[in-house]
Amino acid sequence: MTDTAKPDRDEAQRLRYYSASQWTLIWWRFRRHRAAMVAATILGIMALMGVFAEVVAPYGPTSRNASYLDGPPQLPMFCDRQGCSIRPFVHGIKTERDPITLRAISVPDPETRVYVSFLARGEQVRLFGVIPTDIHLFGLDHDKARLHLWGTDDLGRDVFSRTIYATRTSLSIGVMGVLISFVLALIIGGTAGYAGGRVDGGIQRVTEVVRVVPIIPLYMGLAAAMPPEWSTTQVYFAMTLILGLFGWPTLARRIRSQLLSIRNEDYVVAARLAGARPSRIIGQHMLPSFTSFIIVDLVISFPYMILSETALSFVGLGLRPPSVSWGVMLQQAQSVRVIEQTPWLFIPAGFVVVAVLAFTVIGDGLRDAADPYSEAR
Amino acid sequence: MLRFTAERFVGMIVTMLLVSLMVFIIMELPPGDYADRYAFRKYSGTGVSVTEADIQAIRVELGLDKPMLLRYFDWIGNIVLHGDFGQAFAFETSVTKVIGDKALLTTAILFGTLIITYLVSIPIGIYAAVKRASFADYGLTTFSYLGLALPNFLLALILLYFANRWFNADIGGLFSAEMKDAPWSLAKAGDLIAHLWLPAIVLAWSAVAYQLQTVRATMSDELNKLSVTAARARGVPETKLLIKYPARLAINPVVSTIGFDVNRIFSELPIVAVVLGLTELGELLLRAYLDLDMYVAGAILLLLTFMIVFMNFISDILLAWLDPRIKLGG
Amino acid sequence: MGDLLTVENLTISFRTDEGLITPVQDVSFSVQKGRTLGLVGESGSGKSVSTKAVMRLLPGSAVIAPDTRMHYTAKDGQRVEVEKLDPRSRAIRRLRGGEIGMIFQEPMASFSPVYTIGNQMIEAIRLHREPNKRQAREIAIAMLERVGLSDPATRIDQYPHEMSGGMRQRAMIALALSAGPALLIADEPTTALDVTIQAQVLDLMRELQRDLGMGMIFITHDLGVIAQIAQDVAVMYLGTIVERGPTAEVIRDPKHPYTQGLLAAIPSLDRLNARMTPVPGDIPSPTERPTGCPFHTRCVHAIAGLCSARTPREIAPEPGRAVRCWLHDEAGRSAA
Ligand SMILES: Nc1ncnc2c1ncn2[C@@H]1O[C@H](COP(=O)(O)OP(=O)(O)O)[C@@H](O)[C@H]1O
Ligand SMILES: [Mg+2]
Repeated sequence: MTDTAKPDRDEAQRLRYYSASQWTLIWWRFRRHRAAMVAATILGIMALMGVFAEVVAPYGPTSRNASYLDGPPQLPMFCDRQGCSIRPFVHGIKTERDPITLRAISVPDPETRVYVSFLARGEQVRLFGVIPTDIHLFGLDHDKARLHLWGTDDLGRDVFSRTIYATRTSLSIGVMGVLISFVLALIIGGTAGYAGGRVDGGIQRVTEVVRVVPIIPLYMGLAAAMPPEWSTTQVYFAMTLILGLFGWPTLARRIRSQLLSIRNEDYVVAARLAGARPSRIIGQHMLPSFTSFIIVDLVISFPYMILSETALSFVGLGLRPPSVSWGVMLQQAQSVRVIEQTPWLFIPAGFVVVAVLAFTVIGDGLRDAADPYSEAR
Repeated sequence: MLRFTAERFVGMIVTMLLVSLMVFIIMELPPGDYADRYAFRKYSGTGVSVTEADIQAIRVELGLDKPMLLRYFDWIGNIVLHGDFGQAFAFETSVTKVIGDKALLTTAILFGTLIITYLVSIPIGIYAAVKRASFADYGLTTFSYLGLALPNFLLALILLYFANRWFNADIGGLFSAEMKDAPWSLAKAGDLIAHLWLPAIVLAWSAVAYQLQTVRATMSDELNKLSVTAARARGVPETKLLIKYPARLAINPVVSTIGFDVNRIFSELPIVAVVLGLTELGELLLRAYLDLDMYVAGAILLLLTFMIVFMNFISDILLAWLDPRIKLGG
Repeated sequence: MGDLLTVENLTISFRTDEGLITPVQDVSFSVQKGRTLGLVGESGSGKSVSTKAVMRLLPGSAVIAPDTRMHYTAKDGQRVEVEKLDPRSRAIRRLRGGEIGMIFQEPMASFSPVYTIGNQMIEAIRLHREPNKRQAREIAIAMLERVGLSDPATRIDQYPHEMSGGMRQRAMIALALSAGPALLIADEPTTALDVTIQAQVLDLMRELQRDLGMGMIFITHDLGVIAQIAQDVAVMYLGTIVERGPTAEVIRDPKHPYTQGLLAAIPSLDRLNARMTPVPGDIPSPTERPTGCPFHTRCVHAIAGLCSARTPREIAPEPGRAVRCWLHDEAGRSAA
């Protein structure tokens, strides 16, 4: 037994060495892919904004400004009729009556200036839910006035702040969903590919069934089953579970077919003869030979997660307020009227598009880097 | 070919059975059972207080006290033998009635979308591959990336907005107001087609984006094949050459993914229906889910999936017919 | 007998990501009616690219130098200046297939897999010879029979994947000949086949060439094959023809060191298929083409200071022969 353990370790070492140099190569090629690098940077910024949401966002996601409902974005400026200043400022808000409807509306008051300050003191928040701080990336110099970079919704909530918090939620749901489906794919595809034969046949049938059901209606069915009394946290985890639960078939297929193609290679047979456990053979010997493909598949499955979450929340079957995700925010933007009157409520849609595009481009870049000889797809 | 068809047919039936089992499980998922909801819906607001015994009575009456597997066989048996999908309690009528001609509308939307998808993606994908690395090619690639990233409900809203502005037309829904409840006639069918294009474009959008990339990639591959050079060396005129040799093979992957396209279209249907105010199965499915009207939801999910499985079957047969290399024996 | 095809100063460059490469430089050769020219050289020496240029089949990234002349005498006696034709014109299409036929190394890949052999043959026949569909089919069947396929009336409706490799190559020959070309370009037609089938196909081609009175360019990397099939030979190295002349004479008395090396490496008859590097050293990549004589990096007789610096010109050491080598160009050497 001690004899056989040795080549086993050598093998692993050889593989590690081999894959290390392979990763360097992939990284080199990836860096040359300009679009993918840009996409990775954008995504990185998004992720950072999400992680540090409490500090980046000037206000809390549900905090309301009753004097600025459905207010348009306020763009910081340097000059107005009274002249220019070095510090950016916005105009104050005053209330007027709409000449036609006679409703009270908020309009900018060009007579007053409120200056923008960076690292301003504002609402007391807990960074990551623990570290208390009242420093925000930016804010207004004035106690009462609020800066609504991207305007407010019908309840007077700051769209910019909400979008930042939504970024955190949507991206994290994507990550969790992808991880869950990855684990499932690993187990299901691994079993099928390692065992082969009849086990494989059965699993293939099940995979086929899952693949054939339209995914959003399926998610909707599962989401509909969430009890209405669940807390937002419970719903959040249920959503990640739902998205992960049926995201595995594509990846499982990949793992299966790759495993099937190498299961009779010498080094795998050797490990099997040496009495290594199946999970160890798969994990230590078989997976490393196509890790890069798995990573590519994981990256390109993000868009599905993000789009699914957005779609489900959009129609009211996903996350529920007071949770805030891109889809939840877009729930307020279901009609043409919104485009006409409060188009800034669509800003989260821009985030969805950019995030999905970024993941797709990065996936393409990674694929080219991992396998320079393959054409797209 | 006959044997091949028969084999695929049996495969289709098996898949459908497994799908129905899964759908049944989903129907059973929501908390509480059908009897609870039935009682709640029937008596809520009437002032009648419902006791546990009443619910138990309903349960027995509806056969809900039987074990799950037995209920599954009842359910699927009724569907297969009598075309009976059970009761739609939110509508107080049978599911079959509720679904009725919405299934027909859905089919119309599906085929409208598929036709647009293939009419657009195949020629344009071929064009992009032939004009490889040209301005048009880069433009189309960018478009297809965008097509995959833009959530369909957003696209629907944008199109609605512009249609409203430019044509000043009410183009939401599937029928104009005066036709909505009219009996079926030629005029009504015409009205349907006049309304169909918007949902069809919205639903075709991402399918086009996806197929465009597939066609372009296959066509690029095929263009570099020796068989194309060989045909050119025989003096075959260029346009005929492109159509007969590479393009003919470039549609194979499209044919083999018809099922996926149907799947994608049905997946997006409920969401797009909300925005466009469509009155077909997708919208009904969403409403059934929100109302927890699980018999309706289950029936629709089953119908949609069966349609996908059936289109998969069709695609298999078509592909075998298109590509003589496919071994008809296996 | 008149020249069927004359190629003079053919120079081909490709625009690539690494810049302009010129894999074919200043190549001249000619093919006579009813005779076979063997084009021999290691893989990568530019044989395929040169013959594709004659058919104007090069991709858009290729540039044919302006002083290139390619003249073809058509069946009706008309002289065609091939280098002046637009590659998409009707005139070049008449040439392709109808006047010049082409056979490729891989018979499987040369056929489209989704059409029957007959479909592709009848298409070519109707383009060049016989518009009537029924008669075109008759011609196709006769041609399949001619190349030695048994039961041609059945074979004609088969798909390429239903045939064996040797049968496919025969069908490929039939396909190229069905349009009735006066010149056949065969690009390594036997390389992918195993030895016995290789010999059969070689016999068949020699016989067809003789019976149909065609001119033929036979491309191979194997001088041994040339000896069996070609009356004339041109030896190519790194995009230039280093020696040409009647096959018998070149084999009896090779002038260029590269030809000598190739000859020394001809496998014996029982090892016809074995590939070997004829001359020590590796063939340089076309991006790093040596200056002067391209062969000097591998030449044992290289003259220091001369061969690496200056390109030898083509001279005639004997009537009917030509060689590009400083060793045989005393006049040029003393001038230098
Ligand atoms: N499409 C192309 N683009 C760039 N270079 C090419 C192309 N086709 C051929 N070449 C170059 O021409 C050289 C000769 O190729 P080829 O004629 O196929 O050689 P041979 O047929 O003698 O083996 C190759 O080494 C390659 O570098
Ligand atoms: Mg070649």
